[in-house]
Amino acid sequence: MVKAVECRDVWMVYRTFMEKDTVALRGVDLDVEDGIIFGLLGPNGAGKTTLISILATILIPTKGEVRVLGMDAFKNTRKVRKRINISSGVRLPWGMKVYECLRFYAMCYGITDRKVVDDVISEFELEDHRNKRFDDLSTGNKQRANLARAFLNNPEVVFLDEPTANLDPDMAKKIREMILRIKEERDITIVLTTHNMREAELLCDKIAFIKDGNIVAEGTSEELKRYTKMSERVILRVRGNVDRVNLPYPFRLDGNSLTVFVEDSEKALPSIVVKLAEQGINVESAKTEEITLEDVFIELAEGS
Amino acid sequence: MKTSLSSLQKVLSETLAFAYRNYALTKNEFYAIFEMLFWPMISLISVGLLGEFLYLEKDAVAFIIIGVITLSVIQIAQIDVTYVMLLDMWSMSLKYIIVTPTPFYRMVTGAWLFGSLRGFISLVLLILLSAWLFGFTLTLPLTAMAAFILGILLSAMLIGIFNCILILVFGRRAEIFAWTLSAIVMLFCGIYYPVTILPEPFRTLGLLIPITHYLEFFRSFYGFQSVFPNPLAIAIVETIIYLALLLVVAEMSMLRARKTGLVLKLSD
Repeated sequence: MVKAVECRDVWMVYRTFMEKDTVALRGVDLDVEDGIIFGLLGPNGAGKTTLISILATILIPTKGEVRVLGMDAFKNTRKVRKRINISSGVRLPWGMKVYECLRFYAMCYGITDRKVVDDVISEFELEDHRNKRFDDLSTGNKQRANLARAFLNNPEVVFLDEPTANLDPDMAKKIREMILRIKEERDITIVLTTHNMREAELLCDKIAFIKDGNIVAEGTSEELKRYTKMSERVILRVRGNVDRVNLPYPFRLDGNSLTVFVEDSEKALPSIVVKLAEQGINVESAKTEEITLEDVFIELAEGS
Repeated sequence: MKTSLSSLQKVLSETLAFAYRNYALTKNEFYAIFEMLFWPMISLISVGLLGEFLYLEKDAVAFIIIGVITLSVIQIAQIDVTYVMLLDMWSMSLKYIIVTPTPFYRMVTGAWLFGSLRGFISLVLLILLSAWLFGFTLTLPLTAMAAFILGILLSAMLIGIFNCILILVFGRRAEIFAWTLSAIVMLFCGIYYPVTILPEPFRTLGLLIPITHYLEFFRSFYGFQSVFPNPLAIAIVETIIYLALLLVVAEMSMLRARKTGLVLKLSD
């Protein structure tokens, strides 16, 4: 079966005149199956936007092979571009109205039927804004307009670069619901980047963590949680010499709140309490929770 | 048959997309109409009045007036072509036109078509105004006039493509050329004077610019001697060569911008 996206040993080095080279990607290998939502997670500067821009044929990598929908992305660029699209940020040409913007991009894809533009406007609930200038829209509506643009050519693979960044929680929720609905209705592949772990858990069938230009972990949300060999976290309220905490488990200290990551909390908790007592730290309360993707993200990002 | 018709429709749609964008911008932005009429009229009236003050002969007035008109038309038409990159650089949305399947030559062709329309409207208004204010009359046949107009509009396309290349190579630093390059070019191609008065190597440089020969072709109908016997033929040859060269260089610059990451920098 043809994969939506395949990357082999992709390197990207930004070379700037008179400045030091910046290595953004270091031999990335990636496979995205057809018909799923694939999330790229990673801290700032990890290489997410570079990678998604390469997959969308905007950038050409320094080295490596990229195949999109079974085609070499850099030998069949025009063919690939007809079948993909990208939304990244909330920017579209200023000075144009929403309808004009969308019609312009539709024409760039050889779409002459104005109904396509009308349909996308309605699909993304932009009817009330069609004759407003893009610059005058709220950030949320700009994001919708940009997403609408990305679906004009009925793409089989869509790349979404932080689709809910800078949106208020309510609008972010609406955009997430919109992405899920459109994915179901159109049966397409979506590759998205996000900082929002909850969003990744909600939207993505598969997730890859990218750090320093490398994919450091890949799998479903549950697989990633297992990958770090942690399944639970014990949150303790502590008092005493908290700065001297030393435990045989990964932990995070935030004021008097100590979060310890363990495989089995029932087994680990008594020994943690004893260890802390030996260090002059008293435990006032303790509760156990399942770990979240955010815990995995922090663990992987910190490289511990 | 149906397939080829649909392919042709797609080609036309991709090409006209950029004409449509410039049309929408002109319609929505007052300054776009302002730059089309205000500055060209100011230039024409001031230079025309200077000619009156200096008691220039009618032909000499025609000599400089056509220089003013040519500069204005080229400036207007070239900016539409430059907008292919400039607008997206300003609005930081360059990646969205890069990711479309539209090839660069179709982008500039579409933008040029609308720029030509704007340039042509300016040209007609300026000719009418100069006829009314300074007694300027067109003495060349209609075909020659058509060749001259097409020539200067194609020259505007060359300047616009060159500006796009500069943006793709130097990024935001090249923005200044969008307004200055046409003026610099006009300096070397004899806007108000014959290129023969330019010192070397500027004279040779002037002769390598097609606008020089288009102007000489126009002025030959007013009794002014051109450097070469057939300025129109030379202008056409130069235009074709430069157009082919610039389109190749533009494609190379686009590839380079995608390899260096400049495309992303201009989009963020």
